[in-house]
Amino acid sequence: MRKSKRFTAMALVAAFGLVAAACGDDKESDGTSAPTGPSVGLVFDIGGRGDQSFNDAAAAGIERAKAELGITFTEASPNDDGSNRKELLDLAAESSEVVIAVGFLFEADAAAVGVANPGVTFGVIDSAMLDFANGAVPYGDNIAGLVFSEQQGSFLVGAAAALKSTTGQIGFIGGVKGVGGLIERFEAGFIAGAHAVNPDIEIVSEYITEAPDFDGFNAPDRARDIATAMYEGGADVVYHAAGGSGAGLFEAAKAYRDAMNINVWAIGVDSDQYNTSDPAVRDVILTSMLKRVDVAVFEIIKAHIDGKVVGGPTVYDLSVDGVGYSTTGGFVDDIVDQLEAFKADIISGAIVVPTDPAEA
Amino acid sequence: MTRIASVLRRIKTDAAAPVMALVFAVAASSVVLLVAGSNPIQAYSDMLKHASKLETMIDILNRATPLFIAGIAAAIGFRMNLFNIGVEGQYLLAALVAAHVGGLVHLPAPLHIALILLVAMSVGAAYSGVAGVLKVTKGVHEVISTIMLNAIATSGLIVAGLQAWQAGGGLGGNVTRVGTTPIDESGRLPNLNGFVEIFTRDIGRDRELTGVLVVAIAVGVAYHVIVGRSRFGFDLRASGANPFAAHVGGIPPKRMIVTAMVLSGAVAGLVGMTEIMDGGVFPANPIQGLGFAGIAVALLGRNSAIGALVAALIFAFLDISSGILQNTGSASREIVQIMQGLIILAAVVAYQVTERARAREEAKAAATALAAVAS
Amino acid sequence: MARAIELIGITKRFPGVVANDKVDLAVEQGEIHAVCGENGAGKSTLMKILYGMQNADEGTMKVNGQEVRFHKPTDAIDLGIGMVHQHFMLADQLTVLESVILGSEPTLAGGRIDFAAAKAHLAEVSQAYGLNVDPDQLIESLEVGERQRVEIIKVLYRGAKILILDEPTAVLVPQEVEELFRNLRELKANGATILFIDHKLAEVLAIADTVTVLRQGRSVATVKAADVTAPQLAELMVGSELPTPATSESTVTDDVVLQVRDLQINEAGRPVVSDVNIVIRRGEVVGVAGVEGNGQAALVDGIIGTRPVAGGTIELLGDDVTRQSVRHRRERGIGYIPQDRQREGLLLLAPLWENAALGHQTQAPYSQGFWMNRSGMRTATQEIRSEFDVRTPNIDVAAHALSGGNQQKFIVGREMHSQPTLLVAAHPTRGIDVGAQAAVWDQLKAARAAGLATLLVSADLDELIGLSDTIVVMFRGRIVATLDPAKVTPRDLGAYMTGAATQDDAA
Repeated sequence: MRKSKRFTAMALVAAFGLVAAACGDDKESDGTSAPTGPSVGLVFDIGGRGDQSFNDAAAAGIERAKAELGITFTEASPNDDGSNRKELLDLAAESSEVVIAVGFLFEADAAAVGVANPGVTFGVIDSAMLDFANGAVPYGDNIAGLVFSEQQGSFLVGAAAALKSTTGQIGFIGGVKGVGGLIERFEAGFIAGAHAVNPDIEIVSEYITEAPDFDGFNAPDRARDIATAMYEGGADVVYHAAGGSGAGLFEAAKAYRDAMNINVWAIGVDSDQYNTSDPAVRDVILTSMLKRVDVAVFEIIKAHIDGKVVGGPTVYDLSVDGVGYSTTGGFVDDIVDQLEAFKADIISGAIVVPTDPAEA
Repeated sequence: MTRIASVLRRIKTDAAAPVMALVFAVAASSVVLLVAGSNPIQAYSDMLKHASKLETMIDILNRATPLFIAGIAAAIGFRMNLFNIGVEGQYLLAALVAAHVGGLVHLPAPLHIALILLVAMSVGAAYSGVAGVLKVTKGVHEVISTIMLNAIATSGLIVAGLQAWQAGGGLGGNVTRVGTTPIDESGRLPNLNGFVEIFTRDIGRDRELTGVLVVAIAVGVAYHVIVGRSRFGFDLRASGANPFAAHVGGIPPKRMIVTAMVLSGAVAGLVGMTEIMDGGVFPANPIQGLGFAGIAVALLGRNSAIGALVAALIFAFLDISSGILQNTGSASREIVQIMQGLIILAAVVAYQVTERARAREEAKAAATALAAVAS
Repeated sequence: MARAIELIGITKRFPGVVANDKVDLAVEQGEIHAVCGENGAGKSTLMKILYGMQNADEGTMKVNGQEVRFHKPTDAIDLGIGMVHQHFMLADQLTVLESVILGSEPTLAGGRIDFAAAKAHLAEVSQAYGLNVDPDQLIESLEVGERQRVEIIKVLYRGAKILILDEPTAVLVPQEVEELFRNLRELKANGATILFIDHKLAEVLAIADTVTVLRQGRSVATVKAADVTAPQLAELMVGSELPTPATSESTVTDDVVLQVRDLQINEAGRPVVSDVNIVIRRGEVVGVAGVEGNGQAALVDGIIGTRPVAGGTIELLGDDVTRQSVRHRRERGIGYIPQDRQREGLLLLAPLWENAALGHQTQAPYSQGFWMNRSGMRTATQEIRSEFDVRTPNIDVAAHALSGGNQQKFIVGREMHSQPTLLVAAHPTRGIDVGAQAAVWDQLKAARAAGLATLLVSADLDELIGLSDTIVVMFRGRIVATLDPAKVTPRDLGAYMTGAATQDDAA
């Protein structure tokens, strides 16, 4: 038996060896004109390009940098179990000047690879990139955390929900509970915003899954069931922070509106989902809480070029339009004034939006 | 002489299947690559060039370590004709509890490490044992019960455990870091870089060869020796091959089922050690799916320790290759999964074919022997 | 008129066995033709060839005078040959009508089944052959005999004029056998030709017009049933050169090896063995006779320990082992030759030297403490191979490669090799060739002479009478007679086995 397995190994080597020998080193050269900007390695979170949400927003930032800053870039997505995140970052660091990691799941690996590659700029979306074990200092001057004040944007869509609700009941659907309080920030802001408009409004909250079960970010069927139950229970505006599951919310809203002839609404998240979702359901999307990952990606590349990279967190909040709300579709045109007033109060500090649902 | 000849023949037929499978998988993958518009030769060349780097080899070994342990865990069940789908839930639960216990206590290194390993094995064994007991007392098929237990573990017990035991809370702001209390340095297996560097150049790019590799090797050797050479191993294989004959032969079937499930679970408990021993915590986003990957490893490795080793290395090599293929742009990462699937598929078919060929050959030989005596 | 079926020189070989060796068979139109022979004489293979399930290696096959070659059963069906298998192929949840038309449903436009037409055709068929069934009954509610009737109708429904019945009486109780025979005569009267496979002589003589006898794969004679007697037929079946199982003088001693007291064993809450008392001494063979399903299998399981005992005690060499494990009993010296050697005796895919250890793996030379002893296993296997004449190219081949007889010799050798004090042998010569049968008998006799206590369960009454020192007859889980084999004939045994006779002083 032992011998036979060695045969296997030899055969493997032989099989690949033949192929390898047959090929010369003929790397094809790019036909386009030589770009002048830095090289950027973009490492997506699981799912990669085409998720109509988070990863696509990052890709949009890269495309803009390519057009405006003349960068070259490579991109990669981890294996389905996320086991090779660190290797991907390392490969990107080897061949690029700027490495952008999309998602907080890269935090530990990005810190390690970033420390080992001090000459490379690292930008990690959704993580502060602070070493809490050593007094919350940045891991390194080259390692930037690109974080968003989702609670502020969520506050505004919460206010919009309360302003539009006629039943006095609204809902929140979170993707995954217990991942460092990330999705809870959306919930906290949403609740606070709704209460700012109507202190008596009733808000029902539900999470699809809890860590370590990450299916909640990609379970539209479960989101649909939850949303349907919320609408049937009397909620007429439901906000989701559940990534790819959001499609289920939109379907549920559309179906309920058509079946009951009641004007229920859904609120999108991250990108302007009126533009990205299935055209058939767009007229139920009241607004979307915008999280400008594209801006963050573009800005970190620009900072690199300008030599202005700062280690540790850079916060994208309402004051820099890092978060916000969308008006596409025109469904919130009648309340824009009120929303802008809230926005001004948040920027000025008159309103401090909580990050923990318990405090909202 | 005849014995040597028959052993040689056996090796030939044993090796034939994996070689056939591999050749087929490479050929079929090339077709897929061509159809997808990639250059297969470029892709394979990138993969091999990448894999020949010392740092990549470390990556491959680090990936192969948990795959191998998971493969052995599944193989223990298979040897007994038990389909332990529950390796997944067992290792995650075991890693969580072991990380929590390891983070709570402060002990000298050998004791600390031993305690963590012991806790992990016990939790895995107990959780798997539930499925075994359900099977012998209530007749619940282990596939059903382990699927249920997986769900209970990942969406119930681990969720609750993570919440109850999570450290680093209360930092406020944009803190995203969660997981169990970090284990002291004394509770982590040291990396093997020093050992490797005796034979090679210094390992660069921040790579560390996991110390859990030593545990994996110990598991593999123990499995090989105990299953192949011990009385218990004989009982296990006999029960798996023919439970009725084994029963008549004095091997209690129910006890063997429970024992096999417990042992499978104990080994499964070690799968998560790379995660918690290297990182020091059980994170909110642990590497999942290793239990299912282990089934594939056991399948490809034909439930032997050496086979599982080769299978784990092949899968690890392919997993690690997904990065370089994307980085160089020579192929999309999906090709890696396609190749893994093709290898398993081809291996299953090839094993069947050679198994039948061998059976025919033996029957013919036996018939010849009979005729020779008769005439 | 041409013969319904004519087989000339049919030969079929399997690895290690010639199942059919130049078999000739001629079946006239409209007769009931029995093919009889011992287990392993080649009857089933011949029928499978005739029904297109297997291909003959040599020989010619004619149906209604025309030479044919079948590749699959539908070829045979097309020519009006139908087979009623020993094991029914019916689904419990279907009705009689559904079962009969399954696979040849008349359809309406759009693929719907035309149940009306089917029902009419079924009625026609049952009328024509005088077989009554209720088309709407569920199969699960039918008695065994009725199910068999459904199988027969199913074949007739497809237009068969030649019916092959493979041991049709094996599953029937006597009244059902009579009913079946009435039906078969009815079929014959309506023009069907019937090929009837059996090894029960009385039945063959009662129903058949002509009998062809197979022995060791060869057709040895074709006779008119009216011209032969059962003993003559038996002689044709077993041949005169066959060894007899008869043992010489008694070797029974006074040392009790096995003492079974008031044994009761339950199955699904009902007793399948009750009040059984058996004593076996050193050098004694106790034979257990009984129609299959009267508790012998459960008794054997209870003694070796694979089935829990509901009441009574089992003592081995004076120790109560009633609650002890199989392994404990094995270590105390119980050897076991199981009734189904492939199911209970062997690891078919494992090499012989591993099979040799099965059941003895806790003892020398197979193991030493925690570890198996490979060289000990191999040496012991070689010894078994040479001492018990196991014909195999080497000891590394998998057990499945051996012929049935050699597998059985290997099992007997394995059990004898560890010198048991009690041997439990269930049908030790079932389905093996005469050579192996003689070898097994010799081994049992030698072991008896050496002081082995043996419990022998067998359906072969000659074997029982020949080898046993005492015979007990089991009927409905009880011992109904204890007999001296020197003073008993198979006919007497049969009477006790069917409950026709009873012995008041049965132990």
